[in-house]
Amino acid sequence: MYTLEEYRDVMEKCSQCSFCQATCPVFLATLMESQLARNRLNLIREIFFEKSMKLTDRAREILEHCLLCTNCTQTCASQVPVTDILIAARQEMGTDKGGVRATLMGKVLGKRALPPILGKLGAFAQKIGIGGKEMPRFAEKTFDHDFSGQIAASGVQRAKVAYFVGCGTHFLFPDTGRAVVDVFSKNGIGIDIPEGQVCCGIPLLAEGDLEGAREAVRANVAILDALDVDAIVTDCTSCGMMFKEKAGKCFPQDDPIQEKIGRVAEKMGEATDYLNALGLVVEPEALAARYAYHVPCHRAWAPGVKDAPLALLARVEGLDYVPLDNPEHCCGAAGTFFMQHRETAEKIRSPRLADIRKSDAQMVVTQCPTCRMYLSFRLDDREVLHPLSLLLKSYGADSDFR
Amino acid sequence: MRSLSKDLKKLLGSDQVFTSPEDLLAYANDGTFYLKRQIPDAVVLPHAAEDVAKVLRYADQHEIPLTPRGAGTGLAGGCTPVKGGIVLDMKRMNAIREINKDNMTASVQAGVVLGNFQKAVERQGLFYPPDPQSMSVCTLGGNVATRAGGPRGVKYGATGHYVLGVNFVLPDGEIIQSGGKFVKQSVGYDLPHLMTGSEGTLGVITDIDLRLLPYPEDNLTLVVVCETLDQAAALVSAIIARGAVPAMMEYVIKLAVSVMNSQFSFKKPIPETGEAYLLVYLDGSTAQVKKEAEVIREVAMDLKVPDVIVEEDKNAAAQYWTARKNFFPMVMSIFKRAIIEDVTVPRNKIPAFVSAVQNIALARSVTIGQAGHVGDGNLHPTLMQLEINPQTTLQAKETIDDLIRAGLELGGTISGEHGIGIHKQEYLEWELGPGQVELMRRIKKAFDPKGIMNPGKIWTA
Ligand SMILES: Cc1cc2nc3c(=O)[nH]c(=O)nc-3n(C[C@H](O)[C@H](O)[C@H](O)COP(=O)(O)OP(=O)(O)OC[C@H]3O[C@@H](n4cnc5c(N)ncnc54)[C@H](O)[C@@H]3O)c2cc1C
Ligand code: SF4
Ligand code: SF4
Repeated sequence: MYTLEEYRDVMEKCSQCSFCQATCPVFLATLMESQLARNRLNLIREIFFEKSMKLTDRAREILEHCLLCTNCTQTCASQVPVTDILIAARQEMGTDKGGVRATLMGKVLGKRALPPILGKLGAFAQKIGIGGKEMPRFAEKTFDHDFSGQIAASGVQRAKVAYFVGCGTHFLFPDTGRAVVDVFSKNGIGIDIPEGQVCCGIPLLAEGDLEGAREAVRANVAILDALDVDAIVTDCTSCGMMFKEKAGKCFPQDDPIQEKIGRVAEKMGEATDYLNALGLVVEPEALAARYAYHVPCHRAWAPGVKDAPLALLARVEGLDYVPLDNPEHCCGAAGTFFMQHRETAEKIRSPRLADIRKSDAQMVVTQCPTCRMYLSFRLDDREVLHPLSLLLKSYGADSDFR
Repeated sequence: MRSLSKDLKKLLGSDQVFTSPEDLLAYANDGTFYLKRQIPDAVVLPHAAEDVAKVLRYADQHEIPLTPRGAGTGLAGGCTPVKGGIVLDMKRMNAIREINKDNMTASVQAGVVLGNFQKAVERQGLFYPPDPQSMSVCTLGGNVATRAGGPRGVKYGATGHYVLGVNFVLPDGEIIQSGGKFVKQSVGYDLPHLMTGSEGTLGVITDIDLRLLPYPEDNLTLVVVCETLDQAAALVSAIIARGAVPAMMEYVIKLAVSVMNSQFSFKKPIPETGEAYLLVYLDGSTAQVKKEAEVIREVAMDLKVPDVIVEEDKNAAAQYWTARKNFFPMVMSIFKRAIIEDVTVPRNKIPAFVSAVQNIALARSVTIGQAGHVGDGNLHPTLMQLEINPQTTLQAKETIDDLIRAGLELGGTISGEHGIGIHKQEYLEWELGPGQVELMRRIKKAFDPKGIMNPGKIWTA
């Protein structure tokens, strides 16, 4: 469970090799070792275990100046679960429970009902910019406005899946949801979009709000576990990671909910990965375009996440894949990180943008809605979209959501 | 130390100086946390040689200890600021100034990460062979300061063999440009190679000129399955005696192979039928690679080595080398402490050293993994311990004493590539004798009269 005490032993496995310098985006943007996964672990050890240091403002800053991107965890050959340790530390550090962020997350994401005023406010804020700053822009209509319940497979049904709709798709990019639904049903996959889904809980965990995350997990798992489906899919790599790897860690090992979480995690798949494994039955039509792929950081929970989009899109004649110099370079967005640490986020994003701009790709695909949003802010001349939206285009459908 | 912080911020920008304990904690140790940790008083991140000169002049004037630091991956405690003071973190000096294909040289700042440099060089069809296994993060400055080497040492030598020029700053702020972009020079003392291996005790390296090679046309990976450790060691000597020069020849024991098999999803798992393994990488022209593979097969047959697997599938082969690279950190996920030794023996003494290591492990009842750059006599016997307590610490110390003694008896050296730092100080005289150590101390004095440069390293005072 996400208490630091549970990680006391495993933390000692950090060999101090510093190999996390190769991939920690915050370290790479600042070239300060204090901003490296290794130092975050060392700080946690000194503050919470050795008690030789205090949880000062600077310590908090260093521990919070982290994207929870999992790059360190993926790089660490000693297999230190750095990201989980940092999540646990955040629960220990407490959060600004009454603060604006927590309210936004807890109430809005939790209830899934976007107060209309907030939607307008969001769009308005984006238009004028709050102090010229980049803010998420809410879609005019949330995804559930047009899609809910059962959507039949066209033709013979090969499989039936439940669709977990993440907040990114629900609030910001409902066109991705439409692409999932259309592409799946075209390919003989029936879809169930159960009512009552809430945020997966990962933004709450990142805020140190374990109780909030638990509530979210309880609500979602109760719904998803009750369904009679072959699989559960999500288009969002972070939601997938939450269900697959993090949800169980929100509760004690012997909590009865673990069984349900286990079953849901077992069935959870990332949409492109699932579709690619099952295979397309309807051949896409030719589409002449060049696209690049920005690989989301939350990719390690399912081995196919980073290959599936390319495998699927390779089926589209005329569609050329343009490899970026570093397809796995983090974009810096990380949920609300880019709003809390704008300068660092921009520093992380800028080489990512340069890499894209220097390529002759006309569009960029990525599964993660936050990456999509944060990259689009600065890529006026190139569309950023979910791989399935691009696939839907090649099926001749316009994925624009109205 | 408020005035130190204020003074330094006056000299450089405030985003180049850090003095809060939470920041400084990161600079308290290198890869050898078990030797010593010491939080410095300030860390400074220079952008240019002029920044370095300013800070050095200040430190020299106030007699403040100063420790240069690259990535902090050292394995001898070299950049651990044992006397406190200022840590000079070189990572922001990371410009590759030139890759000169016509002259086959490159000029870089000291903070350039080795792996990034190799990629840049290889994009132009060129080759920079030194390959310490920390290459994804370690800096070229750190490599030069420690004479780092890696598996390719067997054929291509170590960092020192590629250093043509070194620019460095003396404690009084003087900037010295030694050597240059030429492959030979016979003018005065060979300062570039004196700075090479100086472990930050003489001055701060800011820029380096390096020699490059053309990228080898072809390569081939062989996995040789041996019956015993001794057989593998004999095979290495025999291969070298027959004139085959693999680019890499790594020695892996069975335990290591099963760990690798279980931790990495190898396309082709290595059969766990032998007690010891050689991982061999041949490079050169296609004809040469084929010929050397044949020689190795013949030698193996003569020695009745059970199996030589030629891995034609480049992806499968690459996985073995990645696993090798991550082996040491991976061992740490099993053991609490792994001390990676780098005693190096003449190559014809490899079999004798391998048996000596086995005897030491037996006599001291310790686990010593042998997974090293065996081809160049640098076996990296690695002491692995499940607990850290005074008793195991003593046991570690005694085991290392034994290993070093055994290496020296065979005509070897106490460190092939990690350097002395704080780790090997007491053995320095064992190898060099008092006369040579005294000479070195006089050289140190000439460079650094006040003794501010990385004090407490190589020798204690
Ligand atoms: C997992 C692992 C595997 C390793 N494998 C190998 C290997 O295969 N071969 C090998 O040789 N080493 C290996 N090492 C050791 C280490 O990576 C090398 O010694 C490397 O050269 C250190 O580079 P660095 O940039 O980290 O230097 P640091 O550790 O930061 O410093 C090393 C020494 O160099 C000095 N120094 C650094 N930069 C400068 C400068 N600009 N001017 C003057 N002095 C400077 C420091 O004061 C210190 O004494 C390994 C380490 C780890 C953790
Ligand atoms: S977290 Fe992992 S990669 Fe980073 S220093 Fe520790 S062991 Fe090495
Ligand atoms: S989660 Fe990402 S930002 Fe945080 S320490 Fe790890 S690599 Fe760095």
